[in-house]
Amino acid sequence: MSGFDVRVSGVRYAYGEREALRRVDLTLRAGERVALIGPNGAGKTTLTRLLVGLRRPTAGRVTVGDWEVAGKRPDEMARRVGYVFQHADQQLFARTVADDVNFGPRCLGRAAAPVRAVLDELGLAPVAGVHPYDVPAPVRKLVALAGVLVMEPGVLVLDEPTAGLDRVQRDRVVAALRRRADDGTTVLVVSHDLAFVAETAERVVVMREGQIAEDRPARELLYDRETLAALGLRPPTTAQIGMALELPGSPIRAREVVDALRGTRWKEMPE
Amino acid sequence: MTALVMLEGVTFTYPGAVQPALADVSLALSAGEVLVATGESGAGCSTLLLVATGFAPRVVGGRLRGNRRIAAERCGIVFARPWTQLTGLCSSVRDEIAFGPASRGLPGDVVLAAAERAMAELHIAHLAEREPSQLSGGELQRVVVAAALALDPEVLALDDPAAELDPEAADTLYDALPAIAAAGTAIVIATPDLERASRVATRAVVLEGGRIVATGRPAEVLGGTEAARIARAAGCPPPVPLDVPALLRRVQR
Repeated sequence: MSGFDVRVSGVRYAYGEREALRRVDLTLRAGERVALIGPNGAGKTTLTRLLVGLRRPTAGRVTVGDWEVAGKRPDEMARRVGYVFQHADQQLFARTVADDVNFGPRCLGRAAAPVRAVLDELGLAPVAGVHPYDVPAPVRKLVALAGVLVMEPGVLVLDEPTAGLDRVQRDRVVAALRRRADDGTTVLVVSHDLAFVAETAERVVVMREGQIAEDRPARELLYDRETLAALGLRPPTTAQIGMALELPGSPIRAREVVDALRGTRWKEMPE
Repeated sequence: MTALVMLEGVTFTYPGAVQPALADVSLALSAGEVLVATGESGAGCSTLLLVATGFAPRVVGGRLRGNRRIAAERCGIVFARPWTQLTGLCSSVRDEIAFGPASRGLPGDVVLAAAERAMAELHIAHLAEREPSQLSGGELQRVVVAAALALDPEVLALDDPAAELDPEAADTLYDALPAIAAAGTAIVIATPDLERASRVATRAVVLEGGRIVATGRPAEVLGGTEAARIARAAGCPPPVPLDVPALLRRVQR
């Protein structure tokens, strides 16, 4: 699947009196893996909703590839931008997990959609025949993600995809997103989980009070203790280890840190 | 110390389910404790909270077998999906948090004081006048925790309470727990966030398929932190360090 560039230019958005976005400019390139982070209430979710046309900016414009979002209905936008809500419960309704995942392809008459492959990829095959509300809430999140992945959109936007997931489930999400980006899909994740960000993203955009405060390579930002501290954040475990031991190449993925630590001599514990 | 909650061989099955969600669980929970229950998704941690606070089967239905004794008069619970817990009646965060103590029939000044104290503990005083339906997910989560706290619960159950929070707010919430426990509340938390849990837990249990498979001090039980996994994968001999400082102390330079 070839992805699309996403351009946000001079965008503002207000909820009544309260301005949630105060002039945001942001470009995502096709195939890029970008994380959007920032404190609660910074405008992250609002921004992602503008990308799919669920909200219209008060000023400025948003384009996805050659489409002007303002000129498209949300259902049209859904063909280009797959969106997984923060509260994925809001987007499930079928009788079984498999039916829910298959709903989009069926509506568009795509018989060849990779439903089975995506269920396997996210570890959902064992619950394929189960009612979506009979699986734990975090699993419902994976079901919602699966329903978006089978549509093979050129842009993926995921709002807090890992909240509540255990490590195995989280690793599956990381792998699925990296695979899509390798195929050219533009991936944007909103997340508070810097360990997940470190595994997934190559670029990190920080929002604060409705504006973009930082926009830097992940390897750089996750090693910048001062900037993170000013945002109330701490480097992820991987970067903390990398910094303290001055590991080469600024590793941010767990596997990179393990590789860099190979050959380390460990002290035995006295106790 | 007398236990506020005592479970002995408790098995709980949800309505319509064949397999029990909790199987043969025994544990006691006393004032001052911060018990962390962890496990893979579906292991039974959330169910443990419902059972320990009496909400299962009383509210959710189902069948409970074994011995359960809840000596606490007030149990507060905060679900992982905070928006399901709003009253839907209050137009400000302050009113939302005051709703619980007010419905206990306490005098107005006591109700307000409880609300203010709870907001201060969760660092959300600045949200007092906001409309609950207009809050972000993370703001809402803290409001719901504050609402539970305003009830002055003897047992406070928190289901993945930082799931919606940014890291700073999550740290703030977790850091507030030891003092709340020390003031005489028993806290039980279900969470996959072992990093934060290992900082505040006085005791930890690991569940698997509804059964407790490990119980003990956090350092013994919560071996699944990212630092621990990295150390193990890089060949660090046991005992595996649980956090970054412990890992760094083990590296021979």
